[in-house]
Amino acid sequence: MEGTWWAGLTAIGSLLALAYYAFVVAPARLHRWRCEGLRAFARLIELRTQGRYGKSEPLTQIAHAVALRLRLPLHERRRMELAIYLRDIGMVAIPYATLNKQGALTCAERVLLDRHAEISASITEQIPGLWQVAPLVRMHHVVYSEHPDAPLSAHILSALDDWLRIAQHADADAAAAVLKQGIGTRYHPLVVQAILDELRQRALDRRNRLARSAALWL
Amino acid sequence: MTKRKRFWVWFCCLTGVSTILLFWAGVPLLQQHLWSVFGGVVALALLAELLLIRSPLRPEYTDRGLWFSVSTPIVVATILTYGWQFGVWLDATISLLAGLFTAQLKNTHPRWALVNTVQSVPSAGAAGLTVVALQWEPASPAGLFTLPAIVLALLVYMVVNTLLVSVTMSIVEGVRVPWVLGQTALSLPRDIALMAPISYLITAALAAYGAVGLVGVLAPYLALRQAFVIGARQQELYHQTIRSLGFLVQRTHPYTGGHLQRVSRWARRVAERLGLPPDRCELVYEAALLHDLGKTVIDERILNKPSLLSREEWQEVKKHPQLGAEILSNTPFLSTILPWIAMHHERPDGTGYPFGLKGEQIPLEARIIAVVDAFDAMIGGEAPNQKRTHRRSMTLEEALAELERCAGTQFDEQVVHIFKQVVQEWQHQRVAGASV
Repeated sequence: MEGTWWAGLTAIGSLLALAYYAFVVAPARLHRWRCEGLRAFARLIELRTQGRYGKSEPLTQIAHAVALRLRLPLHERRRMELAIYLRDIGMVAIPYATLNKQGALTCAERVLLDRHAEISASITEQIPGLWQVAPLVRMHHVVYSEHPDAPLSAHILSALDDWLRIAQHADADAAAAVLKQGIGTRYHPLVVQAILDELRQRALDRRNRLARSAALWL
Repeated sequence: MTKRKRFWVWFCCLTGVSTILLFWAGVPLLQQHLWSVFGGVVALALLAELLLIRSPLRPEYTDRGLWFSVSTPIVVATILTYGWQFGVWLDATISLLAGLFTAQLKNTHPRWALVNTVQSVPSAGAAGLTVVALQWEPASPAGLFTLPAIVLALLVYMVVNTLLVSVTMSIVEGVRVPWVLGQTALSLPRDIALMAPISYLITAALAAYGAVGLVGVLAPYLALRQAFVIGARQQELYHQTIRSLGFLVQRTHPYTGGHLQRVSRWARRVAERLGLPPDRCELVYEAALLHDLGKTVIDERILNKPSLLSREEWQEVKKHPQLGAEILSNTPFLSTILPWIAMHHERPDGTGYPFGLKGEQIPLEARIIAVVDAFDAMIGGEAPNQKRTHRRSMTLEEALAELERCAGTQFDEQVVHIFKQVVQEWQHQRVAGASV
């Protein structure tokens, strides 16, 4: 009889472990695996545009933190991460000369470049497991005043994409100023607030870390 | 013997074995009057069979692959509770019913339902007879001894089933038996670890409450299915990534389209001939498909230039192996093929690029890709727009002679030797009317 109890407990324990694996561990691993694959696409665009577009590494971290601040659910955060890797994939269809042109673009070239979101979305739609990411990719440059009802994750992508591009060339303060200027017109107010809070928090953390290491030295 | 004939001989053998087993099991089963239990178990197992999971085997297969269900734990549980005869009949019934239903749903030929049935009956029979050999007492209370018996029965069932399925696949799809076995053997311990607790639970439920007990098993059963679905999806994602990157290279530079497909197939064949393990051969196929990935980040005006390239332009083109590796550098699951892509333009005499490595310093896989890539570039594509823009294409014999001439300096001697054999065999086959 004692043996039966043990066996029963083992079976229930195994089943709990199985359920945990099936609904928590395995989906997380699947998502990581998928992101690793898509990183190749983002890197490809980064190399093709000499670092101007497609950058994903700094963006995924900060976007995740901002999404947490805005309490986006897990599935939406994951969808947003996939969209970060795929957002500029449409650049493969744009001629190399246009992408890497020194100086100002002509009107036609600008129109061509602006189509990349649409092309990226149509490429994403073709990949069977990623069709649900396509709307987010299509809207990654969404303007708040034109589409105020777009998903919050699209607004995060739009604001962060611009922030990253400006922060790369100018300093971080200038980038934050651009975001502030666009509140309510170009960018979603809640999203800008969350981004600014996150940046402030990061700066504070960095300063604290520095102070701690300085204290250690002294 | 033709493929068709081989298939029918194999099918008849399986049918013979299955018929004998079913007849042997059926006579004592009729006297037991277990109809209500049989109906309940069939209903649950049918549900499991119908929620099929597809496991893709190769990147080039788009809609094919190995379909498998998770009805095995139910069959094993019934073997332990009601005896092996019950298990064999249960497996036959559900395989046939689910197969016919799936055929209707997916518009496939109903004969596959029969093929599946005659494959699963011997597997269930083998598992059942193992349990009999262990002198397991049917319908005994669920004790500690049950779990090892379940694990053993699952192992026997899956090994026998995998063997039979691999032989069928090797006949129908032309893939090699050891390769299919290698693909499935890796996941065997994980599959058994997932199935054994479920099987134990079903055994306990059947022993305590009969068919009614199965209702309580439904929830954990769906959890098990979810685990399998995710495993299969992971494999699918891997292939999808490779396929999508391959398409991207093809679309960005159309002249490389057919080239990539041919180079990958040749490269895999050469790797097989050189005696590399089956999973390594698959990796060679994938690396060959992606070897020109770096070209997607080079200016198209240089790549598609009809005249000769200037020194600066040539320097730019020479960067593509490293750029290809750089693209994949953040993707850990492709890290094995990364050096092969980076070194597919190295030469044994040390005059290659980008690193100028010599002989054995260059991985064998990269040497294979180098030979096959150069050969296909020399003979050019079949459609006019697939021909290389800055070169006249050679005949097959001219290209082979050129490879031979450069063996030892530009190309690896051993690889060239094997590749020549592969091409000659292919030519013979083509003359005989078969395609690659």
